Amino acid sequence: MSLRPFKTSTVPRFAGPANSVSGSSGAGLTPVGLRPASLELTQPPRGLPLRYTPSATLAARGSVSEFRRSLSGVAVGPGNTVYALGDDEVRAFDANGGVVRSWKVRENAACLAVGRDGRVYAGSSGRIDIYDAAGKALGGFAAGQQGRPADVSAVKVFRESILVADAAARVIRRFDSGGTERGLIGDRNKTGSFMLPNKSLDLDVDAAGVVYATDTGRHQVTSWTQDGAMVSAFGKFGMGRPEDFVGCCNPVNLAVAPDGSVVTAEKMVARVKVYGPDRALLAVIGPEHFDGACTHIHLAVDSNGRIIAADPVRRTITIFGRS
Amino acid sequence: MSETSTRRKFIDTSCRVLGFAALGGAATLLTKRASAQAVYQVDPLKCISCDLCRTSCVLSLSAVKAVNEFSKCGYCMLCPAYMDVTSQPDERGVPSGRVCPQDAMKRRVVGKEDLDDPNNNYYEYVIDEARCTGCGKCVKACKPPAGNGSLRLEIRYNRCVTCNECSIQIACPEAAIVRVPTPGMSPVETHGGPPHA
Repeated sequence: MSLRPFKTSTVPRFAGPANSVSGSSGAGLTPVGLRPASLELTQPPRGLPLRYTPSATLAARGSVSEFRRSLSGVAVGPGNTVYALGDDEVRAFDANGGVVRSWKVRENAACLAVGRDGRVYAGSSGRIDIYDAAGKALGGFAAGQQGRPADVSAVKVFRESILVADAAARVIRRFDSGGTERGLIGDRNKTGSFMLPNKSLDLDVDAAGVVYATDTGRHQVTSWTQDGAMVSAFGKFGMGRPEDFVGCCNPVNLAVAPDGSVVTAEKMVARVKVYGPDRALLAVIGPEHFDGACTHIHLAVDSNGRIIAADPVRRTITIFGRS
Repeated sequence: MSETSTRRKFIDTSCRVLGFAALGGAATLLTKRASAQAVYQVDPLKCISCDLCRTSCVLSLSAVKAVNEFSKCGYCMLCPAYMDVTSQPDERGVPSGRVCPQDAMKRRVVGKEDLDDPNNNYYEYVIDEARCTGCGKCVKACKPPAGNGSLRLEIRYNRCVTCNECSIQIACPEAAIVRVPTPGMSPVETHGGPPHA
């Protein structure tokens, strides 16, 4: 008896996700998918003017503040207090790494920001929730279009503006403090939006209000005015020079330092790089500090220029200082 | 008395025989049906894309093929499963090498093509199954964090000769070839379009 062949469209398959990293225990340093010829990318480049080394670790494995399920965001608040989002709660850390306060947020909250007044903004699918410095809920607002809620992958605050990265619409939405949408950023480039093969958009704002965003498909960091006019862009694809961005879609995360430097994070070769105000590469924090399976490294920079990097695979936060 | 007893014994024996026969028949039928509705398939969570699917199949061109799950695909311009990202870039800065040794992965621009800057385009990647050998090089290159993990290996039933004992299953070091039931499975390929477009 011969079985009738299945049509292509009805081939049985597994319904489960296929995006697991084969053999990933969260400890490997070798970039998955890279062939040995490019493993020199994992070596720190020489001759760069700055060097960053780990100065502290927050939420370390085995500590009382350990994140057990997730670590999906990090931000710096007044007094350089580090806030982290994970396990469906916000935790504020003191200088010694202890948790000074924590509170529950919406399930599957994906990102957070802290304003100058200490207000904490947590972004989840289609919504921004606002809390005061003590964690008391102050309300929130919906983000996105009707029938198409924003896939909120980043949120930042600048004065009265709340900037929300909507990876579903591939734009940045600018809201006022009352939650009314005031404009879009990124919808006036050639394709009408950011190119996001990895379905994630990150942003930060400098002291002058210039918005920096990751355009991962173009391998660029782009900057914009609050009104959505493009200011500049830097970066390109490359697997050889350390200043280039590797892989299909990088940089995946960024943060802006008080001096105007831009700090970027990459996947495939999990590393953090610092570009000076003239966009020259100043430093590389190499993949030895991060899990090779990271598809994101959440970043923030405090007022002293220290880089706070959250590794979502190891679920630890490392503070890097200049050495 | 003894006549009645014999008749009863006969009826009793007959009933037992019939009962056993019915049970046996039903069991055989169920087994056959179950066997017809279960097929060999690659478990993508176990698969390590080791190349044994290509070499172990009884067919000269393996029944295992790479498939792209479009809902997960990033439609990247620089697809790490299509381009050898470590190869020498061409004059536009695009890597010139290809991952697939058979050139079985094809890409086409989604929508109107921007000829000036390829970075402004989304690309759809499809597998030419007549060329694909099931080596899994593209699947390996697409795994996160390098890619989105949209590619996986799959046994194609228009090629599989349904061996009683699958030779790939015997060879697989990860026990990634398993029997799965056929009903209720959702379609493999649904062409969606670029993400979030």
